[in-house]
Amino acid sequence: MTLIECKKLTKKYGNHTALSNISLQIESGHIIGLLGPNGSGKTTLIKLITGLLAPSSGSVYVNGQPVGPDSKSHISYLPDHSYLNGSMRVRDILNFFDDFYEDFDSMRAFDMLAKLQINPNHKLKTLSKGTQEKVQLILVMSRRANLYILDEPIAGVDPAARDYILNTILSNYDESASILISTHLISDIENILDEVIFIQNGTLHTHAGVDDLRQKENNSIDTIFREVFKC
Amino acid sequence: MLKKLLKHEWKSVGKILLPINLGIILLTIIGCIILSTDTFETEESLPLALLLFLFYTLSIMTFSGVTIIYIYVHFYKNLFTVEGYLWHTLPVTRTQLFHSRLLIGSFWCSLNSFLTVLSAAALGFTAGFHAATEEKMDSLQSLLMDGSLSKSADGTTADFVFSDIFGYSPAIFIILLLLVLLTSCISSVLMGYLSTLLGQLVEKYRLAASIGFYMAIYMITQTITSLVMIAPNIHIILSSDDETSTYFISNFFGSMFPAAIISQIILIVIFYTSSLLLIRRQPNLE
Repeated sequence: MTLIECKKLTKKYGNHTALSNISLQIESGHIIGLLGPNGSGKTTLIKLITGLLAPSSGSVYVNGQPVGPDSKSHISYLPDHSYLNGSMRVRDILNFFDDFYEDFDSMRAFDMLAKLQINPNHKLKTLSKGTQEKVQLILVMSRRANLYILDEPIAGVDPAARDYILNTILSNYDESASILISTHLISDIENILDEVIFIQNGTLHTHAGVDDLRQKENNSIDTIFREVFKC
Repeated sequence: MLKKLLKHEWKSVGKILLPINLGIILLTIIGCIILSTDTFETEESLPLALLLFLFYTLSIMTFSGVTIIYIYVHFYKNLFTVEGYLWHTLPVTRTQLFHSRLLIGSFWCSLNSFLTVLSAAALGFTAGFHAATEEKMDSLQSLLMDGSLSKSADGTTADFVFSDIFGYSPAIFIILLLLVLLTSCISSVLMGYLSTLLGQLVEKYRLAASIGFYMAIYMITQTITSLVMIAPNIHIILSSDDETSTYFISNFFGSMFPAAIISQIILIVIFYTSSLLLIRRQPNLE
């Protein structure tokens, strides 16, 4: 089943074209790596899918519907930076998600908080940057969404936290759902990916299955990435 | 979903605006207590009285200013900065987001204005009642109850009739004053929201553009509303006849309130319709 369909998607910021004529489909039940160097257009593509940006031309469909309240109820999105009100207590943020998302599992969220020894009564701004990122990840992974979009979930955290984050992602998603992970730390996630999408200078370079690509190029995804995006 | 948005908006905005409005109430209570004592009976206490009056006026102005600025900043921060990543990815429509902010913002702005007017009135009446002798007390009560102030002892000849001066009985005057405050608050909130939304149409420096739009809209609306309120009385203003002065004041208040309410309602309709058109556009959170 097609979860996301992008048709000739273009996004321009003034004279600069961030994304040009992207057409792709994402099916359910896959973990997809959205890969590309900094500034290649990964975050722009994600923002277009989540409705945070308006396309200059082209269209995006989620579950066959244009981006809107319905599509947003199917997507669980983790931005690449903190976006929550720091003066809120962790418990209040969980209640907030519980109020708005029918698929939010509070029990699972509180359970994950307890495992990480995060006090739900603490205000978000009193937590360290790494703990804040974990809270955001818990919020996102506590939903039973059809599609998880994670923008740089492992950037800027230590290797131990990286393992925890990847474990959390893998052990908390429904197998019929899909995960779209944007990153340039390919070696860390290569083993969990089913598909990869390479974005280069705002254009779609490659969209293929990981095993097919490895066989064809006779190399790891990390090595292929380094060759494709060699400076 | 609108109900849920209202609930969270109420909690979020109330954290800041509730203490501000409680501050006005507290300031008024303290003011009333001071004015009901003999603290300012002597001439030596005049500098202290002036200082306290200045403090009161500045505090009230600050409370009102902070309230409206906070409502604007909250709208901008919520929907067009990093916090927008949360609000714009909720399964709600953009018009629901807008309406939740408009309703709560208008409520707090109106409450703040009502409390400000009530505070000034409470201090005025407290000072008046404290300074009044027993004879004058009857007249003051008559002014409050009937809208007239009797000069003669038997109370038969009315020297001052509220409706002759202000064009309305005290009750109608208060209702119209409240309506003016309410419509002004809604249009002020909408003006800030519309300016913010217009600023989002600009490619760069969106915040600066929003402030620029606000100043432009403010100047245009002030000019038009001033003209609307002065126009009905222009023939009296141009006349230099002293006998017409009381008639002028009565006529001025009589026409000012309806003109103010109607002009504010027109502004509300214009600002609301324009804002609704703009908020329906997909955001561009860069």
